[in-house]
Amino acid sequence: MTSTAPRQSTGHQQSLRTEILEARAVNLDGFVEEWPEKGLVAMESDFDPVPSVRVEDGRIVELDGKLRDDFDFMDTFIANHAIDVASAEESNALPSAQVARMLIDPGVSRDEVLAVTRGLTPAKVLDVVKLMNVVEIMQGMQKMRARRTPANQGHSTSARDNPIQVAADAAEGALRGFAELETTLGVLRYAPLVAIALQVGAQVGRGGVLTQCALEEATELELGMRGITAYAETISIYGTESVFIDGDDTPWSKAFLAGAYASRGIKMRFTSGTGSEVQMGNAEGKSMLYLEIRCILMAKGAGVQGLQNGSISCIGVPGAVPGGLRAVAAENLVASMVDLECASGNDQSFSHSAMRRTARAMPQLLPGTDFVCSGYSSVPNADNMFAGSNFDTEDFDDWNTIQRDFQVDGGLRHVREDEILQAREKAARALQAVFAHLDLPPITDDEVVAATYANSSNDYPFRDVLSDLKGAQSVMERGITGLELVKALESSGFHDVAENLLTVLRQRVSGDLLQTSAILTADFVPLSAINDPNDYAGPGTGYRLEGERWEQLKKLRHVTSSTNPETEVG
Amino acid sequence: MTTPTTTAPPERTVTLREIGPARRGSRPDEVVVALSPAFAGHFSKTIVDVPHAEVLRQLMAGIEEQGVTARLIRVRDTADLAAISHIAARLSGSGISVGMLSRGTTMIHQKDLARLSNLELFPQSPLLDAPVFRMIGSNAAQYAKGESPQPVPTRNDQMARPRWQAKAALLHLKEFECIEADRGPVEVEAVFGPGTAG
Repeated sequence: MTSTAPRQSTGHQQSLRTEILEARAVNLDGFVEEWPEKGLVAMESDFDPVPSVRVEDGRIVELDGKLRDDFDFMDTFIANHAIDVASAEESNALPSAQVARMLIDPGVSRDEVLAVTRGLTPAKVLDVVKLMNVVEIMQGMQKMRARRTPANQGHSTSARDNPIQVAADAAEGALRGFAELETTLGVLRYAPLVAIALQVGAQVGRGGVLTQCALEEATELELGMRGITAYAETISIYGTESVFIDGDDTPWSKAFLAGAYASRGIKMRFTSGTGSEVQMGNAEGKSMLYLEIRCILMAKGAGVQGLQNGSISCIGVPGAVPGGLRAVAAENLVASMVDLECASGNDQSFSHSAMRRTARAMPQLLPGTDFVCSGYSSVPNADNMFAGSNFDTEDFDDWNTIQRDFQVDGGLRHVREDEILQAREKAARALQAVFAHLDLPPITDDEVVAATYANSSNDYPFRDVLSDLKGAQSVMERGITGLELVKALESSGFHDVAENLLTVLRQRVSGDLLQTSAILTADFVPLSAINDPNDYAGPGTGYRLEGERWEQLKKLRHVTSSTNPETEVG
Repeated sequence: MTTPTTTAPPERTVTLREIGPARRGSRPDEVVVALSPAFAGHFSKTIVDVPHAEVLRQLMAGIEEQGVTARLIRVRDTADLAAISHIAARLSGSGISVGMLSRGTTMIHQKDLARLSNLELFPQSPLLDAPVFRMIGSNAAQYAKGESPQPVPTRNDQMARPRWQAKAALLHLKEFECIEADRGPVEVEAVFGPGTAG
């Protein structure tokens, strides 16, 4: 039995049209009725709290109808660390409609909005965004996104955890435009080799791309501290105390972990999303968006620079209830309107319907977010070890065409085949050299050739997995760091790649990547909310796709030349 | 949920007759099968409409074909699969249990493991069909005999999320509602009958 088997016929005679509709991909998706009492509702629930706040002696003593004595630890953390006490009473006294209008009014600057939103309670934030339809949410996002220049993030994984594949696909992904690349594993013990491959491949494709490896928290931190990875984002937080406790965590333990990354100058963000609490049966009767707003404020209170949200791995839950994608768009907006970097989802298999998959991304792609996808699969979805993304390699040309159609920057571009082959080959060669230098299991020339022309993990020779796992273990035991990788690259003739990696590593000394929404340009200039603040103030302002970048995005695989219509340009 | 969208052929049904409080077994050749609060009660089939009667029949056959006895209990005070399975493992004479949720999610547990650990976990309930339940029973029985069977091959389907994630959440919430706090596990007997509809 496969989960995607078509529904069984009813046995009654159906019209031919019904048969066609029944066969449409969208009818393989699951939809459910709301159940607000249990929190199975997107954002409109009578069971959510009514906004309120009261401050005494510089301390919040009442929050959304609860007195401090009745606070759970989420309330306590948010009241103590997230909400600006000085402005709380005044900001919450503003009519919600006025705050909602400020969000969409180009005449009100982003900073003026932040001066208000930093004092809002979770229920008040919900009250504000509930007034907004999806177009207004997008208009708000266009202005409130922290970084002026939008970007995108890719997943680079392998169903066989094959490091050569990850290196080659990372190089291609970096070349196509991903500012961040993320990997994870099927067999966790493979992590050190795959994380090294991701880092090396990324720096071949385009110097300055940031990489991370999603693992259990201790190993993820260790790889970051060693400089084998450059950022971290799989630090999950939840909107109810009961779900937090279920994961043996508290807001304070997560904040402590965030501090560990910051202490080494490593970029990090938290992860949360609508639907996770109800999925785990502990929504405490609150709507998905209300609980997500608590997560967002908790992240703010912990002092992290950003958040990956947009339901993420629970997208099947808001995706199945009425208004679910409006709530998902709203949660991205809320992250941006409290001045967090927002890596905005679109990163998990969402629908059988290509039309629905595309529509799902519009509220992020059209206004632009800090990372439109927090994981576009830059490998075929069958190789995606994050359980599949909303977009994969087969969608590259569609994505590029949509960018060109609407003149919007979704972070990617069309790249010519010869450039791609060159980057893939070089990445595989560089990794071959690094493995040889570090006395890791050898990479053969056949594997390099396979990597150059491959699509999926099936196109590579089998690795000796046991040897690889021993090699992976030795990377950890020998204390290999990012600097060892730089030395290995330098001594084996990959000077430019060594330079790229060294320059990425140096960022942790300057700490520039700790700024909100930081990425590195190809010239290794950190681009963040500090030096590239979103200055949208209406038509003709803010980020515009123009100049050299627009010329790049006009290119597609097949465009007929206007000079000589018998040929194609590109 | 009130109007069935499909007309299933007549299929076997099962009810669970309570015998008395679940006791610790002394037979080293038994596997305790622990069923969640709504299994074969509020619910009659898994998330992909495998009848609970069929699930139990296959699971018990898988255990018995290894020469091992299956003993059934119902856990009433939790819908947490790890807890259900671990309670059962500690009651099992062999120390081996199989825990099941109504929607089909299944786990093989052993009494000396930590509660959140397990021998084998089958988290993707939409991918579990009759042959898989039989293999799970067989493996549990082999563990009970002190053998080290090959784990049952796990399946993966990335499109299970869009089709089933929300229904799984709904089923979980309903199962939660069937929890009877402070009521200990009971020994049950499976009474199979010829059903009329699914």
